[in-house]
Amino acid sequence: MPNGGSWLDQYVNELPKKPWFKRAGAWILVPFWAWRTPVKPLPGGARPSIQPGENLQSMMNLIMPLKKENKSPIGRAKAALAIAENKDQIFAGLDNVGTVHFARFVIVNDNICMFSVYDGDFSNYIRDFIATIGSVFNAVVELVEGGDDVIPCEENVEAFIQWIHEHDLYQVPDTATDFLRDQEALNGDRAVSPVNDDLTLLPRKMVLQLRANANVSLGSGYRAYPGFSVAQVRKQLGLGW
Amino acid sequence: MINLADLQGNILRGYTNKPHVRYLILEVVERSAARRWLADSVSGRNGVPRITSGDWGANRPDTCFNIGLTYEGLRALGTPSASLKMFPNEFVEGMTARASKLGDVGPNAPENWPKPFNEPKRIHLIATIYAENVEQLNEVQKRALTDAKAFKLLDTREGYNFPGDFVHFGYRDNITQPRFEGVPDSQRHPDRQPKAPLGTVLLGHPTNLEGLMWRVPHPIALGHNGTFNAFRVLQQDVAGFEQYLDQAAFYLFVHPKGGELLPHGDEEKIGKGPSRHAALREIVAANLCGRWRDGTPLALSGDAPDPDASRTDFDYIGESRCPHGAHIRRCNPRGGQIVQRIANNSRRLVRRGVPYGPPYDPAKPFERDEPERGLLGNFIGASLGAQFEAMSCDWLNLGLQDPRITGSNDPISGANDPGTSWFDLPLKSGGTIRLPGFPEFVSTRGGAYTFLPSLKAIEYLGSL
Repeated sequence: MPNGGSWLDQYVNELPKKPWFKRAGAWILVPFWAWRTPVKPLPGGARPSIQPGENLQSMMNLIMPLKKENKSPIGRAKAALAIAENKDQIFAGLDNVGTVHFARFVIVNDNICMFSVYDGDFSNYIRDFIATIGSVFNAVVELVEGGDDVIPCEENVEAFIQWIHEHDLYQVPDTATDFLRDQEALNGDRAVSPVNDDLTLLPRKMVLQLRANANVSLGSGYRAYPGFSVAQVRKQLGLGW
Repeated sequence: MINLADLQGNILRGYTNKPHVRYLILEVVERSAARRWLADSVSGRNGVPRITSGDWGANRPDTCFNIGLTYEGLRALGTPSASLKMFPNEFVEGMTARASKLGDVGPNAPENWPKPFNEPKRIHLIATIYAENVEQLNEVQKRALTDAKAFKLLDTREGYNFPGDFVHFGYRDNITQPRFEGVPDSQRHPDRQPKAPLGTVLLGHPTNLEGLMWRVPHPIALGHNGTFNAFRVLQQDVAGFEQYLDQAAFYLFVHPKGGELLPHGDEEKIGKGPSRHAALREIVAANLCGRWRDGTPLALSGDAPDPDASRTDFDYIGESRCPHGAHIRRCNPRGGQIVQRIANNSRRLVRRGVPYGPPYDPAKPFERDEPERGLLGNFIGASLGAQFEAMSCDWLNLGLQDPRITGSNDPISGANDPGTSWFDLPLKSGGTIRLPGFPEFVSTRGGAYTFLPSLKAIEYLGSL
């Protein structure tokens, strides 16, 4: 934060640290801004690179709230069982789809979450999974809010893929100006607006966006090595592909 | 057995005796007049050209006429919103919104497409006329545009099939299409690929992915037996392609393993005389495509073109002489090993293409002001997402299907950059020679996703 010269500047700069101001910000200021400047939720999922060779090891972060009747220890246990009972099928599916590095299932606060790392196009990945182990998706999604509308997934392929896409978290770009670009692309704006865009100052646009997208992925995942496909790794390690 | 009279004829037929093709790109002017035009087109009433169905009966038509509607076109006709909602996302969004999946980026981006493709929302209907000569094309076009209240002509695109089915890069094309279950096999070529389920090309039928059905827009009369088409205007840089073959031939000429690719003394087998340079050019051309320019598949004849080799009866199972990254193998890996094991044979497409622009004259090579030439391509399948887009984004570009090509793009039609492009030429010993530095030979100059409605659906839309 820049150093203020006058006592007033210093006072204003200190405001975000004051408890009364934090409360006023959360309960009055942000809702007022949001009312004045409606912000649409940004769509989720990996951002395909225009350099096709870079579309390897993309991240999917699904957060699926359990149905009301499943928001309980019993509901959470049902979700845990749905995964455990299908473990063999999940391994078989990973093997046959061939483009998924990792798939993790996590329960957080009555949400069942599926995090995965996959190669190539998102729709192809989900469609191939439906074709291979659609029943596993059905067993999980039937426990989730809104899931009944899209199962059995084998008979609702297009709607199911769209539903999954809508539950995939928005991935906040590492470069914050790219986030503004996403916001403006969604609104159909062509020029990047110069207002309130000082990204060192907790800009209003980002606050409002994180109000619209309460859960987000920060960045698109960080790797210790360049992206390789599942098959490239398997081939290199002599595991067959 | 499918009722062919309910299908538009261009889905299962190539109209090979009608070499002249013209596309009329149309915008609805008045909804009621456009609907009347559609109703008339089913039977050819009031002078409107009659839609050619898949069943010609006893009389072969002199000209053929078929239509495709964009999502904006369906909206302009007043299709009920409950029906519109049932169309798949990729069709609703349209081709321009899917640019990154299709490699339409940089100079190929839709923002750079010429008229009329620079205003995709105005493109409502694409009508195609197939005829034996230009006079017939003009006559049918005149009849199609008689009622100015129905459609406004935004622009046309026109192509002509060269003799011998050769296309601009000098390869023989139109060799084979998928054969379908329940449809008489008009090609009667031996083909090692299994027959494709009808749901590969028509909505409302079982697909290649067991248990999976694509959503059929309701009412059934609208969706059943319809299909989708990716119409593409693909400019081909023939001079650039030929120039690259020269460059690659020089590279191989001095390459230490070049002798393994073409043993000294074997030059004449390639069919281009005794010149080693000319023979190496053809070897590169054959490997990039997966076929020699006369259509011989490398999978059956890796050393030289063979007029006696089957053009269709081959596969990539086990060791094959066809490079993993060759164009025809990338687009259709047949039964060969691929990463996505369930995807063998599930992304197949019916392809209907016609060259546009004058043939390239090799006697006047590398002239600066070459006229635009290329291919007017139609890629037809029941799911644009599961077939055309899946093939384009994971296979054609990226090369996800085989770790040996992952990270490279299709050498002929991929979004290539000379700084990063590469292609591995296989050697009999098991090694490879890597060809670098090729530019983009094919660029996108327009296109649209269209729905090819059944005859019943056209009747339905006409009666709205």
